[in-house]
Amino acid sequence: MKFSKFFTVCMLHALLFFFIFTPGVWAKKPIVIGVPTSIGFLEGKECLKSVQLAVEEINEKGGVKVGNESRMLKVESLDIRDAAPGVPVPEALLGIEKLILEKKPTALVVGPFRSEALMAAMDIIAKYKVPLLGTIAMSPASEGKIKKNPEKYKYIFRLCLNAKYLVKYLAGTMGFINSQFGFNKVYIMNQDVAWARKTAEIVKKVYFDKAGWEVVGMESYPTGTSDFSSALMKVKAKGAQVILPIFDMPQSGILVKQWNAMKVPSLMAGFISPLAGPSAWKTFNKKIEGAINVNFEMGSAISSDKIPLSKTFVESYEKRWGKKLEAGHGPAPSYESVYLLAEAIERANSLDPDAIVEELEKTDRQGVMGRIKFDEGHQTVYDMDPDKAAVAAVVQWTDAGKRTIVFPPLIAEGKIKLPKGLAAVK
Amino acid sequence: MLIGTIIYALINSVILCLIAMGFNLTFGISGVANFAYGAFYILSAYTTWIMINSFHLPYFLSVIFSIIFTMALGALMYQVVLKRVRGQAISEVIATFAIGLSILELFRYFGFVGFEYNLPPFIDASVVIMGTYVDVQRIIIVIAGIILVLALWFFTHNTSLGLAFRGIAQDERTALTFGIDSDKIATLAVSIGAGFAAIAASVIIPLGTISPSDGYDILIKALAVCIIGGLGSTGGVIFASFLIGFAERFTDTFIGSHWTMIVSLAAILIVLIVKPSGLFGKQKELEERI
Repeated sequence: MKFSKFFTVCMLHALLFFFIFTPGVWAKKPIVIGVPTSIGFLEGKECLKSVQLAVEEINEKGGVKVGNESRMLKVESLDIRDAAPGVPVPEALLGIEKLILEKKPTALVVGPFRSEALMAAMDIIAKYKVPLLGTIAMSPASEGKIKKNPEKYKYIFRLCLNAKYLVKYLAGTMGFINSQFGFNKVYIMNQDVAWARKTAEIVKKVYFDKAGWEVVGMESYPTGTSDFSSALMKVKAKGAQVILPIFDMPQSGILVKQWNAMKVPSLMAGFISPLAGPSAWKTFNKKIEGAINVNFEMGSAISSDKIPLSKTFVESYEKRWGKKLEAGHGPAPSYESVYLLAEAIERANSLDPDAIVEELEKTDRQGVMGRIKFDEGHQTVYDMDPDKAAVAAVVQWTDAGKRTIVFPPLIAEGKIKLPKGLAAVK
Repeated sequence: MLIGTIIYALINSVILCLIAMGFNLTFGISGVANFAYGAFYILSAYTTWIMINSFHLPYFLSVIFSIIFTMALGALMYQVVLKRVRGQAISEVIATFAIGLSILELFRYFGFVGFEYNLPPFIDASVVIMGTYVDVQRIIIVIAGIILVLALWFFTHNTSLGLAFRGIAQDERTALTFGIDSDKIATLAVSIGAGFAAIAASVIIPLGTISPSDGYDILIKALAVCIIGGLGSTGGVIFASFLIGFAERFTDTFIGSHWTMIVSLAAILIVLIVKPSGLFGKQKELEERI
């Protein structure tokens, strides 16, 4: 009898101890942020780490206030592999649906790589009413879908640059090249995926054809292509002064190496993902002098003294993960997306998706990429002035292995310089 | 441009031949379709990278180590897994594909993605051949390809082990009556096949960067070459490599880059319809495969 009484008292004490001292027992359930993306790819990996960094920073400051309670944020990620060649879109969709159903996220960030996957995922997102702040897929077609049926697709937002704005930056850069050096012959090489195809088509139509440039060649390459010799021979034969590459596949590094090995006398200016980060200088054996690359968002592997928050983000990332940012597309908007979401939840004072969407639409935040505001297609507005809109950065590699921002003019650190062996034609 | 296209088509053909040679050797001798082949290719490249960057070994030693390590893993895979399912084609394919998938996805899982994962070229320079700039690394690939084919021919025709390989390839049961241990030979065939993948990786990877997804591409390329040439036929592999290599480069130059992949796939389809055992396939005939 005595023993059972003693046992009961002990158990009660143990329970009391457990409830008082175990963290999380009294705390509210965390707000789950889902990250369904291609984590096995550089951009996906760094986007996820940027999201985790933002979540840690917000949690350190006490979390997100919803009503009278502070709720912590929690990241749940899933590799949907849509960036890998040969992975069908339905497989990526299954991953997104699985994450939504199993982890019950309040919102999704980053999202699919391929615009084809995003377009198809929009219906799933609309069905489950989970806001998505996309930071990778770039085709403007998703905005058209939102504008056509805003009530259904209002949950989808994009923070990264879209193909339309990329064209604006590419056109601006080409305009600079034309006015500085008189170059007017271009060879366009793009990856055979929706965003890259669209970018190539639009830049030809809205800039090159109108500005008097001669497009001497235009080729699409299947993802995974590992030899660009034919195109580079054509570039030489047709006398192209500028090569405009648009690639985000890892194999595009081969193009840079071949361009160098075949001594092609043309300026490489466009987007090749391996050229975006600081390690490119070592990767390409210090032979990328003069190459010009667009880092899609300020803060994505590039920072500017003129936007202090971009410097803070790039440094915090390196401090937290012990590695420098290398992806020129995705990390900065992924980091920002968490802050945008946290602020929208606090303003909405609720986790209701419709209330969050309503607040997200009102976003006006000065962040890592400049000023972030959404247009009616839920696309972040990009322009040339970081005080008025978000900005990208066009960067040129110098002979000393440094990267100089050359465009847009308001944040430029220097002018475009021709590499050795290339001469202006005016 | 025609000369340049021919030069790069030659190089492309040797690259394809190097990629497919190991897969073909393993199948020709042991009858095992090693679907972990692409993973061994990538594994050896990462091993070299780790040896150079984490253990600070000289480049040449790192390459040698990665070749030996990949060969050892190939032998281990045969002894631990394949020995138990040998002769059951579907089980062999499933087992090797699962192993390959695990290797590639483990690299992805542990964050081995990014452009810093690359190997430097052996000699970082270019030369002009008939008015076309070619980097020395590509010339090294051609030399490596020629040496490998000649070494394989010498090995299988002039060494007792090589003759045992041919014996097993011709008729395993008869070879057994001559005291040739088929399991030992099959282990060596898988191991040497993996070693070929490692050699191919060490000369080809410096052209680009190391990426887990390339493992799948390598397997598909090896399969395409072997199916067209005829599984198990070395001559067939060489012929098919040149057929695809030239078709790809000429399509790229004179038709359009986005048609290059279709050319290989169409070639596979036509060969499968016209000659299901491949152009030089002798699977239904009682003749040596190498």
